[in-house]
Amino acid sequence: MLQVLFNSLVYASMIAVIAVGVSLCYSILRFANFAHIQFAVVGGYLTYSFAAIPGLPLPAAMALSAVATGLIAVLVDFLVFSRLRDITPEGKMIVSWGVALFIRSVVAIVYGGGGRSFDLSYEVVLVGDAVFTTLDALVVAVAAVLMLLLHLFLNFTRVGSGLRALASNADLAVTRGIPGDRLVRLMWFLSGALAATGGTLLALETRLQPNMDLIILLPVFAAVTIGGLSSVFGAVIGALVLSLAQNLLIYIDFGALLGGESWQVPTQFRDYVAVLALVVVLLLRPRLSPLVGR
Amino acid sequence: MLDFAIYCLTIIAVWSVLGLSLNIQFGLTGLVNFGQILPFGLGAYAAALAAQAGLSWPVGAGLGLVAAVVVSLLVLLPARRLSQDYWALITLGAGELFRLTALNAPSLGGADGLTVPRFADPHLALGAALALMAAAWLLSHRIAHSPFGRMLKILREDEVLAATLGRNPVAYQRTVSIIAWAMAAAGGVLYAHIVGYVSPASFTVTETFIVWTALILGGPGSTLGVVIGAAVVQLLSVSSRFLAAWIDLPADVLANGRLALFGLVLVLMFLFRPQGLVPEKKEVRDAPRP
Repeated sequence: MLQVLFNSLVYASMIAVIAVGVSLCYSILRFANFAHIQFAVVGGYLTYSFAAIPGLPLPAAMALSAVATGLIAVLVDFLVFSRLRDITPEGKMIVSWGVALFIRSVVAIVYGGGGRSFDLSYEVVLVGDAVFTTLDALVVAVAAVLMLLLHLFLNFTRVGSGLRALASNADLAVTRGIPGDRLVRLMWFLSGALAATGGTLLALETRLQPNMDLIILLPVFAAVTIGGLSSVFGAVIGALVLSLAQNLLIYIDFGALLGGESWQVPTQFRDYVAVLALVVVLLLRPRLSPLVGR
Repeated sequence: MLDFAIYCLTIIAVWSVLGLSLNIQFGLTGLVNFGQILPFGLGAYAAALAAQAGLSWPVGAGLGLVAAVVVSLLVLLPARRLSQDYWALITLGAGELFRLTALNAPSLGGADGLTVPRFADPHLALGAALALMAAAWLLSHRIAHSPFGRMLKILREDEVLAATLGRNPVAYQRTVSIIAWAMAAAGGVLYAHIVGYVSPASFTVTETFIVWTALILGGPGSTLGVVIGAAVVQLLSVSSRFLAAWIDLPADVLANGRLALFGLVLVLMFLFRPQGLVPEKKEVRDAPRP
């Protein structure tokens, strides 16, 4: 059972760091940005490239990758989304898929189709009968620190409250002298940088492959939908709930529970939980969910 | 060379059916379906499973249509009374679930997929594909120019207005989904018999967005536009193969370059010509003067 908690925590950390960017973008620009997932993939690959530079330690590579991906996100906004502020949310969603298709293909061309993994050494720690690694601990710590910093930034700085004002009423905020365009660019930078870090954490835990976007697509959007958008912690809680549900599903021995032979749900089916959670949340609270504009 | 041209035309016709189906949903009604490949895949897999079980192809086709209609109703269940964002997420999730199921269920062939008996004669395949496309075209045309279709356009522009006219938006969306998903499933059945095998790799999110690219390129809401869009997209696909042979590109770079181009086309159309190559004709009628 402890093992389930550990696994959920690690998985949730990675998903949450990526998911908050979707929340940020939705709360300010009011559309579900599917290109966001690609920022995570780009970030993972960029970290891999930077880490290959001799003498550059991994944390520095991660930071460089976050900054670079943040700038890419700002560029995407400048080239595409800033010119389409007035079209319908559906239109923006469709455009974001066009952007996603483009970025994913360019990544696949540059890095090829094969998988790559980081050459890391870490230790295994035993707690009771549960196993976790120092890498797991690092992933959770990085995610927790980032989420805490983001929370402090949004709630206790002038720029952060500007962003929140923009999210709650953009017209009023701009009328009151808040520099809307600059803050929107900052939002893109932040979500790009966070996605890159999340993507890197995922790549450290698993490996880099061009179709990792398909692997995280459903979990990330399910987490955002479950959590609601009112605070940064909404996406974090969404990620935790989802991840716990997924890991429990795989852990529980349904066969024994029903008195028969031991039978567990195969691991590949964890994405079903993501979609199921999405459906349940949408059925139960259609008004409160993040994807309805406030 | 002639064989190749016949194959190209057949594929264009099949993808046009898929595009026309999406056009009824998004172009006319405004439903954002990000899982358009799902009914197509259901049709294809139904055809394959029926063939594996030794049943004749009409049985497979019937199974495919029924499966698509049933699944469309299931997907609609949670999406009812929800906004477009939810439609997008639910259909996307449903499409991915189908792909994952096909990938992980041994009875569905797993990653290797299933083989399907092919059309013996390519001319017959072309004939069947063109016939299906013509049927889809006629149906789309009829819908677009009927009172039902006009109500769909009102629904697309303003759901509340449609409701104040005494119409039930959900009932309209349900009818549209059933028709469009059955249409896409018919395309899928044909596709399976033309290509000769089905595998999860043919039914990814990427395929859905190739259809979207065709729709946005041609012009949402315009029947002719969608067919032209599908033709352009598929011809680009095919001709890039020659280009690759010419300048000696590796296959995976080519495949990804093609997808990058489609993504770029989608974005550029939105930026510079959102109405598409063949814009939808807006019907303007003034009320009669008293």
